[in-house]
Amino acid sequence: MSNRISTSMMYQQSITTMLAKQAKLAHTQQQLASGQKLITAKDDPVAAGNAVGLDRTLAELERFAANATNVQNRLGLQENALTQVGDAMARVHELTLQANNAALGDDSRKAISSELQAIYEGLLDLANSTDGTGRYLFGGTADGSAPFAVTGGGVIYSGDQTQRQVEVAPDTFVSDTLPGSEIFLRMRTGDGRIDGAAATGNTGTGLLMEFSVTDSTTYNGASYRIAFTGPNTYDIYDGGPTPIASGTYTKGQSIAVGGIQLRLEGQPNAGDEFNVGPASTRDIFGTLQNLIGALGTNPTTDAQRASMQNQLQSALRDVSSAQGKMIDARASGGAQLMALDNAAELRDANNVTLKGTLSNLRDLDWAEAIGRFNLENTALQAAQSVFMQMQQLSLFKMM
Amino acid sequence: MSNLLATGSSALIAFQRALSTVSHNVANINTPGYSRQRTEFAARDGTSYGYGYQGAGVQIVDIHRMADSLATARLLDSTGELTRLQQMSVMSNRLDSMFSEKATGIAAPWSSFFDSVSALSSSAAGAADRQSMLAQANALVTRFNQMDQQLDKLDGEVNSGITSTVSEVNRLTKEIAALNGRIGSNVANASGDLLDRRDQLISQLVGYTGGTAVQQDGGQMNVFTAGGQPLVVGATASSLVTVADPYRPERLQVALETNGQRVTLDKRALGGQIGGLMEFRSTVLDPAMAELGRVAMSLTETFNAQHRAGMDQYGQMGADFFTAPQPQISKHAGNTGNAVLQPSLGDLSKLDGKNVQLRFDGTNWLASDPNTGTSIPVTGTGTAADPLVVNGVELVLTSGTPATNDRFLLQPTAGAAGAIKVAISDPSRIAAATPVKGNTALGNTGTGKLGTVSVTNAGNANLLNPATIAFTGPNQYTIDGTGPFTYTPGQTITYNGWSVTLDGAPAAGDSFSVGPTGANSSDNGNAKLLSNLDDARALNGGTLTLNGAISGLTTTIGSAARQSDYAAEAQQAIQDQAQATRDSISGVNLDEEAADLMRLQQAYQAASQIIATADTLFQSLLGATRR
Repeated sequence: MSNRISTSMMYQQSITTMLAKQAKLAHTQQQLASGQKLITAKDDPVAAGNAVGLDRTLAELERFAANATNVQNRLGLQENALTQVGDAMARVHELTLQANNAALGDDSRKAISSELQAIYEGLLDLANSTDGTGRYLFGGTADGSAPFAVTGGGVIYSGDQTQRQVEVAPDTFVSDTLPGSEIFLRMRTGDGRIDGAAATGNTGTGLLMEFSVTDSTTYNGASYRIAFTGPNTYDIYDGGPTPIASGTYTKGQSIAVGGIQLRLEGQPNAGDEFNVGPASTRDIFGTLQNLIGALGTNPTTDAQRASMQNQLQSALRDVSSAQGKMIDARASGGAQLMALDNAAELRDANNVTLKGTLSNLRDLDWAEAIGRFNLENTALQAAQSVFMQMQQLSLFKMM
Repeated sequence: MSNLLATGSSALIAFQRALSTVSHNVANINTPGYSRQRTEFAARDGTSYGYGYQGAGVQIVDIHRMADSLATARLLDSTGELTRLQQMSVMSNRLDSMFSEKATGIAAPWSSFFDSVSALSSSAAGAADRQSMLAQANALVTRFNQMDQQLDKLDGEVNSGITSTVSEVNRLTKEIAALNGRIGSNVANASGDLLDRRDQLISQLVGYTGGTAVQQDGGQMNVFTAGGQPLVVGATASSLVTVADPYRPERLQVALETNGQRVTLDKRALGGQIGGLMEFRSTVLDPAMAELGRVAMSLTETFNAQHRAGMDQYGQMGADFFTAPQPQISKHAGNTGNAVLQPSLGDLSKLDGKNVQLRFDGTNWLASDPNTGTSIPVTGTGTAADPLVVNGVELVLTSGTPATNDRFLLQPTAGAAGAIKVAISDPSRIAAATPVKGNTALGNTGTGKLGTVSVTNAGNANLLNPATIAFTGPNQYTIDGTGPFTYTPGQTITYNGWSVTLDGAPAAGDSFSVGPTGANSSDNGNAKLLSNLDDARALNGGTLTLNGAISGLTTTIGSAARQSDYAAEAQQAIQDQAQATRDSISGVNLDEEAADLMRLQQAYQAASQIIATADTLFQSLLGATRR
């Protein structure tokens, strides 16, 4: 470059420099005002694109947290309802034990019966609990109307068996409330595997006490009928017309057949029968109704008393298995609540990481930016003062 | 004596003239394009007196215009490129701000919409959540529409920019041609100020169109565009006109009109502001429109497909949630055939949004990229049974026959963002539920457990028919009486367009049924799937998610803005250098002029002294003879 420069070039150069410094200063000022490193995507296109993706992921996490609150609310309500159902069942258990006392008078039984009736109604109300938004807690996904209703034959379930899954963290799903069918219906009778009962027309005082599967490999799921041919003799049938075994009855002694063991007490008469076979299912309301029905018989003869006792025994077993089911249902809800807590932890951890990354991508380093601002400010002032001095330099002034 | 006076007065006159040149320079210090002038002195020829030559003073031989044609040409080159890049940068920056700003970009409403779908999945029957999802969907399509409008507006600005620039160009070419006429073929005779004026006008012209100026026979300047088309030749000016794009009449192109002939100039033939506008349009704006449209179209396609596989609150199968925008096709204005092509979206994963030019060669359809000319594979014949397939778009020849060399422009996704709408207005019609559900008979004695029923083919006509899986033995089952089939625990049973897993050990006599979900269900199975569609890899052959496409859009536009900024900055540096070189030769320096002023003033004073001395000599001669 030659040594010659023109005056307008000198001015132009100073002005260009000042303009560039001013633009930089304005950009820094904008960064400081917004607290963001990236004003528009062009400042760092790749980081800006990533930030858009991370923003979406963060928003999704926030949404998942809100979803989790919804589910937690419903699971909490389920937990409350199930606690109450559990308490009620404990009371039922207690009352059944009381009623099973042979010395109990008719009046006392009546009192127990009416308390059971109240519990029955209370259970029905609990089964029709709502979630606070007008939907029924225990209706599955058909929860727009009350899932449980009393009809002539008992309680009918009109909900469905679908259990919703809700996403509460990326690819983490938590089950919503249990459908009513899995809490109040489908209770296994007996010990959950096999069930036994005295035939309704028995005339003796034989009581079916305990029964259980003692040999799982031998037991093939068949039903057995023990028919007394005399006070101390019995035949065992497996569904066929001919007995498969026969034996002599000794009070209190166990009878074993096909991998099953059962014990009878009392004195059966010839023609009395006891059945034992695979457990069936019954709903909780049916169990209560049977119980109430048994208490309402007002026995007068020994045979009637034995029949009632047999029914109470059977009800006691069903109540216990219902209590077990409640515990299972609460445990399942509890597991979901724990999964919610785990999901919350996962979300929080992800949140911290994502925010950190986003902050690195987009947020301003204040110390650096303020330092830069001061530097640019000084540089602009220097350029201005140089310009002022330069424009004083003119030979014309010396003339 | 007279000799002395003549010499003195020649110097006085010369210095006076030189001083007026200095003052002319000072006066034009702020005139753009002014080249400084310098007075050239020469000694007058002397008279021979036998003993030698006696000098006769000074004369001015030339007032020289300090200019270097090479420096001027370099500056001119750089000016055309700089204005082109600056134009690109200005427009790209506007697009960048629009896409980056939360209030105008697509990312925020996009995220809110999918959040509202996720919210629905946690409360599928909630009226408020349903209403909120509809509201967010409307906000999202409104934003798509607004962005498309903004892009259209930018397109309109390119048009009006081209129109106003063309009229300015025509004014300049006429003025340059007129100046060429006045200057004639001999530059040496022309006034420096006139040459400056012409250079200045050429620089302005090149700023609009790019190109070069070539001096013809040492006199007139001819100006050509970057592509070599003549804008000014001698005293004749060509004129530019705007013509409609043959495919899209709403879009303007620039054509050169010489002798009644019109030649369309493409963006490669033009630099400067017009070139910048056209390049912005084809390399930044069009791809942005196409990509935004592609996102809109993919959202419609994937969301609608999933929505149709769900069940609404009325117990009906879901309908389309968004109205689907269709690809656009426009025929070339010069087509002689009457073929009508109907495009529709085929394979979403192959859709890339880029414009495609289709040409009929007499027997086959050929496709190519309209910008680069690269050929693109086409399959099919164009019948409804065997449509033409290009880049994931299917085309059917619905009527007419094409003539050889008929051309069409296919815009697969441009405009889709402007056409997307929400098709549903009743919140209850949002299909959040899985249309079928399973039921385990209450009396089952086995432990068979039915999993969640999922839809594998929403189009199956029997999907909603109730079906029963009945176990005739622990390892045998029938479906609706057909079978028996062998049961393996954990197996998946697929029937009537749904599938379900069955696990555990069902006993003989156990039964499971699958049937329609029904009205007013709070099932969230479909909402769950809908809320995850933004992360489904639906694009680019199944490698890119919709979220990825949104991020990619931001990055692409940001990169375009950054790149044009960098290029413009670099060109500015080149321009500054070229300007400095030109100014170091032609620019006025006030100090230099002040020094010249003093030097000439002193010389003028000295010349005055010569006159005074001559006078003294004359007076002393008169005094001597008076005696």
